[in-house]
Formats: sequence, structure tokens, C-alpha cells
Amino acid sequence: MPSWIHKPSWVHKPTRKIVLLVTGAIALVLFGALGAAVVLLSGAYSTAATTQHFKITHRLLDAGLRYSVRASASDIQAPILDEPHKYEQGAACYRLHCAQCHGAPGIAPDEEGRGMLPIASNLAQSAREWPAEWLYYVTKKGVRMSGMPAWEFRMSEESLWSTVAFLTRLPSLTRAEYAQLSQYSAQLECESAEGAEMQASEDRTKIVFRQYACHSCHRIEGVVGPKSYVGPALVEWSHRKYLAGTLPNNEENLVRFILDPQAVRPHSLMPKLEVAPAHARQMARYLLELE
Amino acid sequence: MSVTARIAIGWLYLVLCGCMAPEGYEPHVPEGDPRQGREVLAELECGVCHVIPGVPGARGRVGPALADYKRNVYIAGRYPNDPDILTRFVRDAPSMSPDTAMPAIEMSEAQARDIAAYLYSL
Repeated sequence: MPSWIHKPSWVHKPTRKIVLLVTGAIALVLFGALGAAVVLLSGAYSTAATTQHFKITHRLLDAGLRYSVRASASDIQAPILDEPHKYEQGAACYRLHCAQCHGAPGIAPDEEGRGMLPIASNLAQSAREWPAEWLYYVTKKGVRMSGMPAWEFRMSEESLWSTVAFLTRLPSLTRAEYAQLSQYSAQLECESAEGAEMQASEDRTKIVFRQYACHSCHRIEGVVGPKSYVGPALVEWSHRKYLAGTLPNNEENLVRFILDPQAVRPHSLMPKLEVAPAHARQMARYLLELE
Repeated sequence: MSVTARIAIGWLYLVLCGCMAPEGYEPHVPEGDPRQGREVLAELECGVCHVIPGVPGARGRVGPALADYKRNVYIAGRYPNDPDILTRFVRDAPSMSPDTAMPAIEMSEAQARDIAAYLYSL
């Protein structure tokens, strides 16, 4: 160190400085945690859908979404999308699954979509500003804590891309053109995820449970969710002798029951969830491995 | 874990739970006596098929575990979990749900009420 630099006194006592810094940091964290606890336990934080975020929070969340989607979609390569059969089929998917919350040219979102917080994006704008790969990623995976579901469990891979093909045309459609396309697409089907490719892994199975909303009624070992007591808890399941009160508990019966509960027990309150057979098997295997 | 840490955690737990909003619904069985109910459950050996907290040896895995029973929304996957219905069900499950593996069990109406009262006390 050149001699003309004045050495402050603490340079000679590095330990003291570190102790001070660390103590300060800990105090700050504790103080923050205490403040957060007070806000949480007092009920001062509003969870009402009428209470908007602060502007800065909203902008930060928006930016966070964009950075996250950009990073996650970086390996995706869009196929050729500008083909009539693709965007026509996509229009069918859009009319069936998207317009309810996102609206369409000249058409407002449905009642369910209007009061949401955050509000569903107007996709004519998203499609102008976002590359197709990002649109695909968000459609496929959904957006956490926003109400946007993951469509990969409800639409085939082909339908996902068709929907994106439609989205890329959306900004250029007038009200009349949309109406015409939508009317034409009414005769087309949006292919469900039934034939979608399944990769079985433990993490993937947990996602599958959540994507069929199983955890809204069942507490499932290893799956984070609400403390629900609507259906039986799916814990230590391999020890259960019976399922649905009467059937021997094994893989085949579990699959049967998951696919069509009323075929097994007509009065069961468990609804039919249109579970893809491969997914039902994945679920059954997972449950039967629970010790 | 040191004693101080245990005390700190216990204290925090108390503070947090004390501030928590209550869970709500507490089913009540008129004239049901939970203490008697526990004895009836042991006497009738319900624990052969069910895990029942507080009843010695009740670790059966044939039927569902009965912990936290008051929070269950439904009985046997088809009836609302309400005191009258549970009182009937514990005595004669097959008449209400013919496809259940649970048998009818001989007991008095009062005993059934006591059992229901105990299950709701868990």
C-alpha cells in the first residue's frame, strides 16, 4: 500500500470490524423477521383480490416473469408455425381454453377472468412482444401464483404448438376476422393430453398428482399442498388392505379406481378426473411404494 | 438440542399457535361421552382394523386411520361427516354403504354416541 493512503484505524483491527459487521447483519435479519412476523400475525397483509400490489412490486414481478421465462425457454426451438391447419386448430384450443380469461379481439374475458389478480394478460400484446418459444413455455408450464394452469397436462404437444401458432396471428386479427376464424374452428377439436409423452420419475409423479388437483382433497405423502380432509390421506399407502372401502389394495385396482371411481363405487364422492391411463399407473405405483 | 433452544422453540410455537386463527367446525354429539367412547372402542376391538390414537393397541391397517377424525369432510367416501350419520355408521356400516369392508357391530345407541364423541375429540 502506498504511503500516501491514510490508513483508517480499523485496518489494524480486522477482527473487530468483522465482528461488528456480522452482528449488524444478524440484527438486521432478526429485525426483518420480527417485522414480517408482526405483519403476518396481525393480519395486516391483505389477501383480497381487490387489493393490488404496489406499483413497484407489480413491475418487479413482471420483470421476474420475463427473465424466468427467457431462461427456461432458451433451449426450445419453435417448429414452422405459419401454416393454416396449425393456427386453425390453435383457434379451436384458444376458444375452448384461453378466451375465458384472456378474452379475444372484440371479446371480453368471462366473469371468472375479469376479477382476477393478477389479471390475465391480453395475449394480442404478449404475442406481439414475446417470441413463440416463450409463449409455448408459458402455455405449457403455466405461471405459479397467477391462476395460469400448465396446459401440458390438458393439451397434446401438437395442440400446444397449434395454440402458439394461433397466438402469433392474434395481434393481426380484426374483430371480424377473429369471429370468422373462431366460427370455422368450432368444428375442430383441441386434442387433449391423453396421448402426450410421459416420463415417469418421482418428481414428475408429484407434478402429475398436483396437475389433476388430487391434493385439493387428499393429503399425499411427499406432495406439498393444503391440509385437506375431504378424501382419505394417501400416506403409508402400501400398508392399506382395502381401497375405496372394499377393493383389495393393489396396482390394478388403484388404476381402475383412479380412472373411473363410479364404475367401482357408484356413490363415491371422488369425481372422474379424466386421468390419462399412463398417469393413473404412475400415481398407483407411487402410492404403493409409500411405506 | 440445548435446553435454552428447546425453551425458545416451545415459546415460539406457543406464540405462533396462540395467534393462529381457529380451525373452526367442532362437531358435537349430544349425550355422547368421549371417555366412555374410548373404552367402548377398546372393548369392541375396533383397533384391529383402525389406527385410533389414545386406544391401546389400535394399530390396524385394514380401514382408514381415525386420527383427526373431526376434520374429515366425508364418511366412507359418500356421506357428510356429521354426528348423527357417524353414530349410525359405526353401528351398522353395511346398511349405509353395502360395498364397505366394515362389518355391522353390535352395540347400543348410547355406545355408538360415545364412540362418535371420542372420535370427534381426537
